[in-house]
Amino acid sequence: MDYGLNEQQEMLKKTARDFLNTGCPKKLVRRMVLDEMGYPQELWHKMAELGWMGLAFPEKCGGTGGSFLDLTVLLEEMGRACLPSPFFATVVLAGMIILETGNETQKQELLSKIAEGELIVTLAWTEPSGSYYPDKATTRAVVDGDNYIISGTKLFVPYAHVADYIICVAQTTSGVTLFLVDNKSQGISYTLLKTIDGDKQFEVVFDNVKVSKKDIFGKEGQGNIQLRKVLQNATVAKCIEMVGGAQQVLEMTVDYVKNRKQFGLPVGAFQAVQHHCANMLTDINTSRFLSYKAAWKINENLPYAREASMAKAWVSDAYKRVTKLGHQSMGGVSLMEDHDMPLYSKRAKAAELTLGDADFHREVLAQELGL
Amino acid sequence: MDFGFTPDEEQLRQEVCDLLKKEVTPELIAEVAEYSGGAGPVFGRKLLRKLGERGWLCPTWPKEYGGINSSEMVGFIIRDEMTYAGAPVSLVGATMAGPTILRFGCDELKKEYLPRLARGEIDMALGYTEPQAGSDLAALELRADDKSEAAIMERGEVNAEEKGDYFLLNGQKMFNTHAHFVEYHWLGARTDPSNPKRHRGISLMVVDLQSPGITIRNMTTIAGWKTNEVFYDNVKVPKKNLVGEKNRGFYYIMTALDFERMFPVGGFQRIFDELVDYARKTKCDGRSLSDDSVIRQKLAEMAIELEAARLLYYQLAYMLDKGEVPNYQSSMQKMFATETAHRLADVATQIMGPLGQLQRGSKWVPLNGEAELHYRWGFIETVYAGTSEIMRNIIALRGLGLPLG
Repeated sequence: MDYGLNEQQEMLKKTARDFLNTGCPKKLVRRMVLDEMGYPQELWHKMAELGWMGLAFPEKCGGTGGSFLDLTVLLEEMGRACLPSPFFATVVLAGMIILETGNETQKQELLSKIAEGELIVTLAWTEPSGSYYPDKATTRAVVDGDNYIISGTKLFVPYAHVADYIICVAQTTSGVTLFLVDNKSQGISYTLLKTIDGDKQFEVVFDNVKVSKKDIFGKEGQGNIQLRKVLQNATVAKCIEMVGGAQQVLEMTVDYVKNRKQFGLPVGAFQAVQHHCANMLTDINTSRFLSYKAAWKINENLPYAREASMAKAWVSDAYKRVTKLGHQSMGGVSLMEDHDMPLYSKRAKAAELTLGDADFHREVLAQELGL
Repeated sequence: MDFGFTPDEEQLRQEVCDLLKKEVTPELIAEVAEYSGGAGPVFGRKLLRKLGERGWLCPTWPKEYGGINSSEMVGFIIRDEMTYAGAPVSLVGATMAGPTILRFGCDELKKEYLPRLARGEIDMALGYTEPQAGSDLAALELRADDKSEAAIMERGEVNAEEKGDYFLLNGQKMFNTHAHFVEYHWLGARTDPSNPKRHRGISLMVVDLQSPGITIRNMTTIAGWKTNEVFYDNVKVPKKNLVGEKNRGFYYIMTALDFERMFPVGGFQRIFDELVDYARKTKCDGRSLSDDSVIRQKLAEMAIELEAARLLYYQLAYMLDKGEVPNYQSSMQKMFATETAHRLADVATQIMGPLGQLQRGSKWVPLNGEAELHYRWGFIETVYAGTSEIMRNIIALRGLGLPLG
């Protein structure tokens, strides 16, 4: 067993941390909530220059052939920095769909442009029912000659307003199918949703949107299985992003309680506060190991449905506990909107409700356990 | 990163599994229960000797002392499988006393005790706690007076009646589990009462529990298992039984805790596996328990916590094999594993409904009463060998560098 990162991953981690420390200060994060685009474009292009977007794509598609584990190392740092960007949507959600299910042409064209930072792609799968199951999509795609006509409403589509393409999950007569939709197509409209952490998530309405038959990913009607795998990968990736955030919360908290004095002592000398901090570290270490074990299994092509759900069920609750204890330990100052803590506590809630919460994943796990 | 076993480790794990499947009989399980989780004189010792023959009791030790020079990982795997099978695990002799003798003891001490421990011929009981020294171990008072000529001279006791190459022990220990049937006491005693730094006046020694002057009195725990008070009344302990240097005992004890504090999760995993099976096969109100969404949620949660406890457990082996000292990590694992185990027993009894209160041997008892027993046992595990609160203190102080209050 080896619980550590390899040398290259350690280097990548350090580079990412240094880069985001200077490039993504919290002032910028807060500004992006109010910004219409919602992400710093200059930083986005610098990330592309560093090879981050293409990190886990094969070399022939413009990537650098890194592994899923390498990608998660980056995501942990992004979670730590609260980086506002379409990275997760473009690389982890859309990128994985293209990589897993796209034909050679689709891969060549789309992935190389994503790797260059020239293309933003997002995924539209959640619907107003709020179901976390991909096969529950009610958006319809009806054949019309060489095209499909898509109609339906999608929610929580990240960065839909700046995306070049939206991958839309819709039902055809043969089942769930994944469509590549040009965002300039007629009939697409979006409304920004007002979310807890002020990120850019949209309602996207497809009103008789025409899509060519050649813009299907994989086989018609097979979208369910394909999507399930990609969403499982994304779930593990999300967990590791959350671990990065939780780690930063702990470090902020420890730093504060060592210095803040009450009753003549640093508050970190009181056992009530010490036990809060110990519980935070325990939640973080267990979250980290569960998440990285799932990521390692993905990397090694081993079955990982069980581990993915274990990780998301645990981390969803653990990250929230960590932010709650962070606030309790730091007290009043941490409750101010210009403090860094609210960024994390709001993100912890949003991340919990993304890609399945703890109850959902415990149910998936129960099925995996043969219950 | 790699969360799998190597092919060699996997093969050994399988061999251990196979042997245990043959050797762990209902008679052994009953004896383990009768002997408070330890190795009883008949079946328990027989099993330990079988494991000892293969070097599996203390696998990390050098061959000359009965080990197989293995990695820590191998030792952790074996203990995990032993607890899964329900075999008694020696947590004092093989994993606390033995390694401390190996690290700090003189050659004579090593030759005297290590091979016998590794062969499963002897075992030891922990002798740390006293009525006034629980979490605050440095408060221990059991006196060990050095009666050697040199020590008497140093103290200037001109009229000393007792003289000889031994310590004279007087005082009381408490909660010393297994002391009523194992051979030796792994004892912390005060050898320098004059030192104002309390932890600098403590020594570690091995005491033959058959020595004249020792009285052992049973105490019955909430789990029904026995522990003991041990009284020392002018007990003579040869000086050669001193471990390492005099007055360095507290340091040895703390070092041993860093290296050896860990809780295998195999036993809890077995209860969980049986519980899943029970939920699938048992009907209530016309449907399987496993169809109840609340039960499904609870079982899934326990599966996750067990996996987390196991990941913390093997992390310790990983660190040790890298040459690192897991000081706060071992406390975290102890706290997390024992709290998980207690929740597991709680959940298991809830899933059984009113049947959850039935004890082993009762008519209608599910799963041989393991859940009910471990519910009681869970109170003990989260207290002994360092309470959950002390574990959290250690995590905060050593893991996060928070200041002492």
